[in-house]
Amino acid sequence: MSRHQRPRQTVLRPRRLAAPPLRFFLPISVLVTLLAFMVLRGMANNEVFHDEKVAVSVDKKTVPKSVLEGGPVVDARGDKQDKPVSYTVPDKTIVLTFDDGPSKDWTPKILDVLAQKHVKADFFVTGSMTTRNPDLIRRIVAGGHEIGVHTYTHPDLALHNNMRLDWELGETQLALAGVAGIHSSLFRPPYSSTADALDDWSWPVSKAVGKDGYLVAFIDKDTDDWKRPGVGAIVQAAMPKLAGQGEMILLHDAGGNRSQTLAALPLIIDKLRAQGYTFKTVGEALGAGSANTKVSGSTLWAGRVFVKSTAFSVWLMPFLVGLLAVVGVLVFARFALMLVLSLLHVRRTRRPGFAHGPPVTEPVSVIVPAYNEQECITNTLLSLAASDHPIEVIVVDDGSSDDTAAIVSELGLPMVRLIRQPNSGKPAALNTGVAAASHELIVMMDGDTVFEPATVRELVQPFGNPRIGAVAGNAKVGNRDTLIGAWQHIEYVMGFNLDRRMYDVLDCMPTIPGAVGAFRREALTQVGGMSDDTLAEDTDVTMALHRAGWKIVYAEDARAWTEAPGSMSQLWSQRYRWSYGTMQAMWKHRHAVLERGPGGRFGRIGLPFVALFMVVTPLLAPAIDIAMLYGCFFVDPYKSLGAWFAVLALQAFCAWWSFRLDREKPWYLITLPVQQVVYRVLMYMVLLQSWITALTGGRLRWQKLRRTGEVGLDVTTAEAARS
Amino acid sequence: MNTTERGTFMSAAERGTYVMADNETVQLRTISVPEAFVRRTEHLDKPGRPDAAPDAGPGAEQPAAPRARGVRDRYLDLLRALALVRVVIYHNFGWTWLPLVFPSMGVMFALAGSLMARSLSRPAFGVIRSRLRRLLPPMWMFGAVVVTAMILDGWGPHSEGHPHWWWGKLAFWVLPLSTPPFAGTVHGFSGHLPHSWAEQVVVPLWYLRAYLWYVLLSPLMLKLVRRVPWVTLAVPLVLSAVLNSGLVDQSGRVMETATDFTTFGACWVLGMAHQEGLLRRIPQYVVPSLAPLVLAAGFWLLQRAPVDDPRIGPDLEAVPLAQAVWSFGCVMLLLHLSPSWERWPKPLERFNGVITLLNSRAVTVYLWHCVALVMTEPLIDQLWNNHFAYAHLRWLLTSQWFPLLVAIPLIVLALLLFGWVEDAAAKRRPRLFPYPRRVKGRRRA
Repeated sequence: MSRHQRPRQTVLRPRRLAAPPLRFFLPISVLVTLLAFMVLRGMANNEVFHDEKVAVSVDKKTVPKSVLEGGPVVDARGDKQDKPVSYTVPDKTIVLTFDDGPSKDWTPKILDVLAQKHVKADFFVTGSMTTRNPDLIRRIVAGGHEIGVHTYTHPDLALHNNMRLDWELGETQLALAGVAGIHSSLFRPPYSSTADALDDWSWPVSKAVGKDGYLVAFIDKDTDDWKRPGVGAIVQAAMPKLAGQGEMILLHDAGGNRSQTLAALPLIIDKLRAQGYTFKTVGEALGAGSANTKVSGSTLWAGRVFVKSTAFSVWLMPFLVGLLAVVGVLVFARFALMLVLSLLHVRRTRRPGFAHGPPVTEPVSVIVPAYNEQECITNTLLSLAASDHPIEVIVVDDGSSDDTAAIVSELGLPMVRLIRQPNSGKPAALNTGVAAASHELIVMMDGDTVFEPATVRELVQPFGNPRIGAVAGNAKVGNRDTLIGAWQHIEYVMGFNLDRRMYDVLDCMPTIPGAVGAFRREALTQVGGMSDDTLAEDTDVTMALHRAGWKIVYAEDARAWTEAPGSMSQLWSQRYRWSYGTMQAMWKHRHAVLERGPGGRFGRIGLPFVALFMVVTPLLAPAIDIAMLYGCFFVDPYKSLGAWFAVLALQAFCAWWSFRLDREKPWYLITLPVQQVVYRVLMYMVLLQSWITALTGGRLRWQKLRRTGEVGLDVTTAEAARS
Repeated sequence: MNTTERGTFMSAAERGTYVMADNETVQLRTISVPEAFVRRTEHLDKPGRPDAAPDAGPGAEQPAAPRARGVRDRYLDLLRALALVRVVIYHNFGWTWLPLVFPSMGVMFALAGSLMARSLSRPAFGVIRSRLRRLLPPMWMFGAVVVTAMILDGWGPHSEGHPHWWWGKLAFWVLPLSTPPFAGTVHGFSGHLPHSWAEQVVVPLWYLRAYLWYVLLSPLMLKLVRRVPWVTLAVPLVLSAVLNSGLVDQSGRVMETATDFTTFGACWVLGMAHQEGLLRRIPQYVVPSLAPLVLAAGFWLLQRAPVDDPRIGPDLEAVPLAQAVWSFGCVMLLLHLSPSWERWPKPLERFNGVITLLNSRAVTVYLWHCVALVMTEPLIDQLWNNHFAYAHLRWLLTSQWFPLLVAIPLIVLALLLFGWVEDAAAKRRPRLFPYPRRVKGRRRA
């Protein structure tokens, strides 16, 4: 939302409200926690065979010959790093291995068959499936079977570095500890096959795993059951080449329909038993004892916390998706509404011969509240002197500690009056100005704002309609060539040309910018003038005018040039003041929701709009970026980026449209991508911070501010005009 | 401390060679140590020039009031030092993410391009001659040692079967218009060094070759920058895209030179454009808005490039086009920031010594760091024979950090042995170790 307020320090901005040192802590920790849960969820969500990048076979120059020609179990642990030892499965022995599970559809049935046949087997499980099916892991372990590690997310490790490898193994062990209280020292690389299929890319993985203390279990016989070749083919493939030769058979208990595997399993067992084979686990077959060891203490607890967090993240995900949907709907609906209504507004107000009423020619009082504006006040007053509408100017010097007052006196412009008062805040200065104004129409501006000659005239023309109580002008950023300036330029142009036109058509303008606005004295008097109840007196008075039944319109040709905050910290302070002030003003006028008449109309249409688009949407908007990050890592990077850029393109279109409406040069839009990301984060943090302030210390600031000096006006009302 | 005392102190530190006129003289002298990559100070060559004084090096009398143009821009010094440190670390660890964090070579070329554009206010021939005079002697020193070592280790006219070519190509050790020749595999001094040590040691030479070509073509490039700045900026990137599109055969000495030239050409031109004030003429928001898009494009190019070793992933240094685009984006941002520090910001003050040393010995550090890294191997091998080290320090011996720790004193040794050539090449009084001594209370003034 664009609006202007002087970036100045007054008593209205107590020190406590200046950004607290830990202001980033909570917003960022919320974001980081959310991201952490999404990472957990992403891992848990990682379906087997999701990662489709598989390394193609290359040379085998670095693989030791003994490994290529040896048995399926490779031991490259410790000092065997450079002289790995291969083990074969003893004769008349079969090791059944099931990869990629456990799955809730097939693993229980396979376990039933194994139990029925009294066969112990090996299950090479992925961490992701483990966290999703903890009961099955416990059942496997209870059944006396052996668990092997098959990585967490089933990537082809030949394509990843050792850090990823360590991570895959570590998280899987954590998951195993969490669900069954065990660790496993048996590993099978995803996409691996027999030991003689090792090559220069896959061998380093086995070596690295050996260094970490794992035995690597390859296979003798691939049944290709995942291709669903038919029960007969699976059974046939499982039969040993030479009668009596021991072997390790690969089957799968997850990753798709395993009905053929399930049907083939009893046949395989029966046939091999008939040939005199016994069934053992890897540990038993090698005579080395179980590869699974019990864990206890902190390892066990870390595992449990990990599994619980993952479960929580899985539970949380639908809500996040819902949130994203809400954001999407809000963003799209808002843009659609803005486009339609701004078009409507433009058609209405740019129609030839359009006027709110008869031309307004009566003189106007311009009130310039000034607090330490010595750099800008000269320009401000000189620009007013060039006005093509009859005006009187009242500069209210709100206890400046610099030369503002002297500069104003020195200038000696004929239509300028200077009133000096002890520092009492912007609303009080404005009220002083209104009290001293001699005309019925009152224009309020900031001390650092420059008007065009036509601004005042354009601003007061709508008062030809007696129902209109106030008019919002069009504030423009003057210092738009810096990065932050360009961002605010885009923001202002969009805010004034889309938001304000929309609010104008809906008749619920939430704010008349402090930099350029006009009021009827009658209307101001009716609502009791400016109030210092809130930090956003402009929003407060605008809402009060709505409740009093006045119409408020937007005058696009009443342009005021203003200097926007030049640094991030200034921008932060300004936005913090605005969003907190807006929340205060909404709270102050909350009863409008239940009122009858125009107040009720504003309460039931305007307030929800403001709440939705100024308070709720910015708080949720970073969901777009979080979803993009999540999508890039866990779903499909191109699709995720595509969706993200689609939102950006929509914003770019709206921005371009608003620039066109305002006849601005579109070059500034090259900074839009950066601006959108930065603003989303900024507004999210500002709003969260405002909420925290509102919920914790907010009540304190409802009290009136303590005045520094005596009550009432200083009597030294100086006539600046020189005779 | 009064002026006289301070002057005395410094004089003592520098063995009483200089006459210290006042505080400013001390300060400017200590910080305006020129080095070969940055020839900001070659106005010295022509003492008669009116603007020679601010850039004056050691021994020259400085006016008390520093002129804005004369004081070293410490920001550029910082970038150069960072670039050097990054190169050494990268050559030790081979981390592929490091070039992404700080694309050293692009930064170095941009700085050099900027300074070249600045010098070219003088007649081009003299500038080029002075550049070569600064660049080549340190390289000849390096060549004398390395070529001798290669020949001692069995390299010779008959190594490649073309004795005449061998002798002819040796000329590139004199003027590196193309990469100087080196021994592919040698004996390794009876196994103390790896067989490919020569190849590892001459890795930095491509930079000198590329630099030489940029210097030679700079007068032309500067003219183009002044006439059609945006086109000139884009041309190297476009050429790089064409050369690396796979349609052009990139083998051979000429194409090697052309590829490197186009890869960093945009950075060099950007440095020139920066010096010409081009970046200040466009609105300030433009560069930071475009740079993320350029970086994104560079990253995308990197990700889609084929990789040698999938377990390490794509390396920016091995993908010229991605390197060109990524470096361009980074240099854009770094030059845009360009805060022009006349003195160090507080937190960086403590690094003044190291950064000044690195800047005044940049060529030496760059040329010799690979030698130092190669030399660590036989040195560390000795420790494996030590019983205590074998029993208790194996974690240290196998650590990747250990070679770096060993290499640092070796690099310092190289500075002591060969650094003076840089001073001699710049017609300065040779100094053993130009580490600035800080004057007490200097910064607080």
